[in-house]
Amino acid sequence: MAIEIGNRLGLANVKSDYIHAAGRKLEDIHDELLELEAKGEVKVIHVKDENKPIEAETLFGWKKKIPTNKLWHHKSCGQCGNIPGYPVSLLWFMNKFGIEYIDERNQTSCTAWNYHGSGTSNPVGLAAVAVRNWHRAYELGLFPLFHCATTFGDYKEMRNLLVEHKELRDEVRRIMHKIGRELVIPEYIVHYSEWVHVMRFEIAKLKKYDLSNVIATIHPACHTYKMIPEDCIYDKEIYAGKRTAVSTGIALALGAQVADYSTWYDCCGFGFRHILTEREASRSFVMDRKIRPMVREAQSDVCITQDTGCTTTLDKNQWIGKAMGYTEQVPVMADVMFAALACGADVYKIVQLQWHTTDWRPLCEKIGIDWKKSEDEYDAYLEELKAGGKTVNLYEYPAGK
Amino acid sequence: MEYDENGVSIVPFELKKEIFEEARRDFRYEEYVRGCLNCGVCAGGCPPHRFFDFSPRIVLQKMKSKDPELIWTMMDEYVWACFQCFTCAMICPFLNSPGGVIAILREIAVRRGFESAKKVLKPYSRVLLKLTAYGNQLSPDMIQPDFFPDWGPHIGYASTDLAVKRKAIPMPTLQVTNLAWDVAPEAMKELYDIFDEAGVFKIIESVDPSLYEIIQDIVDDVRSS
Ligand code: SF4
Ligand code: SF4
Repeated sequence: MAIEIGNRLGLANVKSDYIHAAGRKLEDIHDELLELEAKGEVKVIHVKDENKPIEAETLFGWKKKIPTNKLWHHKSCGQCGNIPGYPVSLLWFMNKFGIEYIDERNQTSCTAWNYHGSGTSNPVGLAAVAVRNWHRAYELGLFPLFHCATTFGDYKEMRNLLVEHKELRDEVRRIMHKIGRELVIPEYIVHYSEWVHVMRFEIAKLKKYDLSNVIATIHPACHTYKMIPEDCIYDKEIYAGKRTAVSTGIALALGAQVADYSTWYDCCGFGFRHILTEREASRSFVMDRKIRPMVREAQSDVCITQDTGCTTTLDKNQWIGKAMGYTEQVPVMADVMFAALACGADVYKIVQLQWHTTDWRPLCEKIGIDWKKSEDEYDAYLEELKAGGKTVNLYEYPAGK
Repeated sequence: MEYDENGVSIVPFELKKEIFEEARRDFRYEEYVRGCLNCGVCAGGCPPHRFFDFSPRIVLQKMKSKDPELIWTMMDEYVWACFQCFTCAMICPFLNSPGGVIAILREIAVRRGFESAKKVLKPYSRVLLKLTAYGNQLSPDMIQPDFFPDWGPHIGYASTDLAVKRKAIPMPTLQVTNLAWDVAPEAMKELYDIFDEAGVFKIIESVDPSLYEIIQDIVDDVRSS
């Protein structure tokens, strides 16, 4: 069945070929990728049984297998600078579930933040960096899991361009041979929040606190659902399939109230370059278009994000708003951090909220979390480390690394 | 470049034509520029449209006009207003990608070392250095109160005892202060080879020659380590 629709705003139930009014057919790139593999053009990093995949549906009802085990962590430049609790909370859950993974030094940035901020790269450079990192996961026999929304969006785009353009494949293959690697493409590009989403009912079993009086507002990252919109998880049980289900799904599974607000679709104001060098645009957008509607319309207790740039932008820009008479404030954290809090993870050592600027203590108090105890223990821990103590890690490098 | 008596550059029509042809030759162009209804849906969802004299509808209309003069008018600060959020691409009924067009035009601006690109990117050079030389983008020690005073007094938290606070993060990759994570030299070296082969270093040289020199010194050090 073919169906005509006007845009890609969200039709989760269309399980069919998709023919756009402009005459363009959107193909599921996954099938084309497998055809290229059959012709020997590319190698594919498959989602195997050992990855314990859970199936989800994307915008047009296409299936997407989300691997939940044997994963290679592809970290985000932004999250580790400002929001270390984001990867730590993810590893904390993975350890709880006995998931096998590697978190190592042999990874580069996807370089897409830079590209979208400054234009100082090109599709060959971006695609080659993507394949370089994909290949690293491949040679370890693991499936790559991308932490950052911009990495996710960029890698989805690079995967599509590589599948659709032989010249790009040839050029990237040439570069890969120069660095001793091969042209490999993952069967699916998977964002950490998709892992959280498909694991949400397992995560909810670990819940320690009642969240029924917590009002959450969701800010999905633009680059997860606006870049290659067809490759993003939708669920007809969540927003009737009209908006991406990711992040809302985990908040609901944990029993929080998810409230709508009028500017849900707006970006956070990050702007890639603007957040660093034209910050007045970013902060105006943060206060006018996100924080104020979240608080005034939804009385939000917490803003849930799924990315680094958004978390930084929405969290760090609230303080200056006071100078302009904006009194609205709401703590900001990634979905996995909120989930970790709900499941009893330490506020300081695991969720690492101490790095965040907007006050999150009222949220903890509303949930019933004793953040002060956590703070005291953390301060004592820092003193131990200063005196030469060893960090209690969630993960250790494999021997010899 | 020639200049008139007011110091405004006189740009020959041939150059403007070249710019348009260069954009049109990009293999993504056909994907990004389709029919345009001039409906303005994209502008309605575009964040910088609220703040600046900038509209993704105008971007598409000018591209569709195929008029090098009109396209040239976007090659200065105009293209740098875009947030690259791709709201336009998601909501355009014709599946255009004004944000994608902007990316192509920006690439041309930096490749050709346009003054406007140099000016816009000057304050961005710290990030460019970190990314190109170390394979990361932002690092904990860059979050300093003097650089981010508008982020409030709590920003100081990250600058006191930073090393020990990073050491307390229970992931060995993150226990550094000068990078977002501890990037292995072999990964950096591969990135340099990619940048060489894909012409990325060349682009940086054209937009910021002195930064390029600094980056090359670091690259040489890492390569010889
Ligand atoms: S680019 Fe798309 S949304 Fe924007 S005016 Fe043209 S048809 Fe409308
Ligand atoms: S990508 Fe650029 S042009 Fe498109 S909506 Fe975002 S800011 Fe506007």
